[in-house]
Amino acid sequence: MINQLVLNGIIAGSIYALIAIGFTVIYRTVKFFHFAHGVVYTAGAYLAYTIVNSLSVNVQSPMVISYWFLAVLVGVVGAGVLGIGIDKFLYHPLRERKASNLIFLLASFGVFIFIQNLIQLIYGAQILTIRTGPVKEGHLFLGAVITDIQIIILVTSCLLSVALFLFLKRTRFGKAMRAVSDDSIGASVVGISPEKTITISFAVGSALAGIAGILISLETNIEPTMGFNAILKGIIASIIGGIGSIPGAFAGGFFLGIAENLGIWKISGGWKDAIAFLILIIFLLFRPQGIMGRREE
Amino acid sequence: MEYILHIFVITGIYIILSLSLNLIVGYTGLPALGHAAFMCIGAYTSSLLTLNFGFSPWVGLIIGALFATISGVIIGFPSLRLKGDYLALATFGLGVIVYSVARNWVVVTRGPMGLPGIPRFSIISYQLSETWVYLLLVTGFVLITFFVIKRIVNSPFGRISLSIREDEIAAEAMGKDTKRHKLIVFMVGAIFAGIAGSLYANYITFIDPSSFTVMESITILLMVIFGGMGSIPGSFVGATILVVFPELLRFLGMPSSIAAPTRQMIYGLLLVILMIRRPQGIMGKYRFK
Repeated sequence: MINQLVLNGIIAGSIYALIAIGFTVIYRTVKFFHFAHGVVYTAGAYLAYTIVNSLSVNVQSPMVISYWFLAVLVGVVGAGVLGIGIDKFLYHPLRERKASNLIFLLASFGVFIFIQNLIQLIYGAQILTIRTGPVKEGHLFLGAVITDIQIIILVTSCLLSVALFLFLKRTRFGKAMRAVSDDSIGASVVGISPEKTITISFAVGSALAGIAGILISLETNIEPTMGFNAILKGIIASIIGGIGSIPGAFAGGFFLGIAENLGIWKISGGWKDAIAFLILIIFLLFRPQGIMGRREE
Repeated sequence: MEYILHIFVITGIYIILSLSLNLIVGYTGLPALGHAAFMCIGAYTSSLLTLNFGFSPWVGLIIGALFATISGVIIGFPSLRLKGDYLALATFGLGVIVYSVARNWVVVTRGPMGLPGIPRFSIISYQLSETWVYLLLVTGFVLITFFVIKRIVNSPFGRISLSIREDEIAAEAMGKDTKRHKLIVFMVGAIFAGIAGSLYANYITFIDPSSFTVMESITILLMVIFGGMGSIPGSFVGATILVVFPELLRFLGMPSSIAAPTRQMIYGLLLVILMIRRPQGIMGKYRFK
């Protein structure tokens, strides 16, 4: 039982980590809570669903791989474009006005509510399923059952996290991003365009949210409201990991996933959200810098 | 006619909620995103007392408001140490927790099944079952809320609120105990939200957790911002427009599967436009710092 709970926590944690890392990539350059990140995740899942559904993929056909490739491509690129769009049409004018963080957060809520309900209007409120073929029996691993899809989720999440970490550490863009994050005026003095850097970080972060959305749609059903919980968990994971830190977001995601799944050991699964927020509030009060963050005033 | 009276009752309840949230958000500058939680506690406390223990709804209303206040202290005490968007997030989280308790503590709250058959208020033996009588009652509470909030914001106490909003460090330097002050503001807001919750529960005679989601908190906040941050007439205007306007969608003959998301989309769009164009609202004097 406890092994299974930990495993479920790790799988949930892989998704949280992806969302949290995408959120963190954006947070580092813009320094406010991009709540609408959650609806980008939803959009990624629905775009992939639309492709798979409209091509009416026959799961037995050998062409299925290329269809899946197309679905993932559309989902990820679509999510990236949506992220850039939100930045250009919403956050850019706010930046011009030097709006406060709270105004950014509330505007972000607004765009979240708008797009989520747009999706509900188009696809309906009911849950939808992406057919991934016949249900296969999971593998037994250390006393817990793990399915093929769960392995894909875990591996993808870890690989992407490491890749992104190295990308930000080693490349010019990563350096530019850190420069903008530390001092955007200073960065522009030495020839780094803050606006361009922000656009790229929205593209990268949103693409990660799209991937997370597609991964979860393989594992469970999708519904228009799925992004709400996802972004809450993503933000909580980022904060408990140490806001602004990529390894922190990764660790925070897994920590949160495991903690909330162990938390429901003796009680019903409906309490997960309450447990997650309880963890957040405890962290905010006693360790606001998170597991890996530095304290800054 | 009955329908129009019904809209008035709902508007009245939202005016109470907006006024009390305006004290916290608009006058004291605290970004509280969990106002529906206090409403939820008030509604559930009074309903459970009347249903399970045979209390009079009036006693339920008072104890409900009391419980909401106590929860305001429990919620406010730790979270008011945080500032800005972190405070917003913490209050938001507490809203999720209260909703979660209402939904999952099935033994007491019956969870998603909700509590049906909540009795309405009665005076001696006359039950306020007609909508227009209930409207008078709600109007009475709106007036009480209006006078109390107006009195507060125009008093020395209210001026401390404004000074905290404008510059908390300066207020502290003037020797004001800002932590204690913010906590009292939170409590006052919670009392009225609790009363609004009881009024709502006794009017609809049925409550379930879905009436107290965080979306509900954001809607109340939208009313405050739209009408005007730190403006009492603004709260009246904001609540009235945002309750009445979506009802018009009904007359366009939209089925509810389309009307509900459309209403939310309008709310979302309105929030975005307000933040970009006029973050202080129609009659507001303050924008979030």
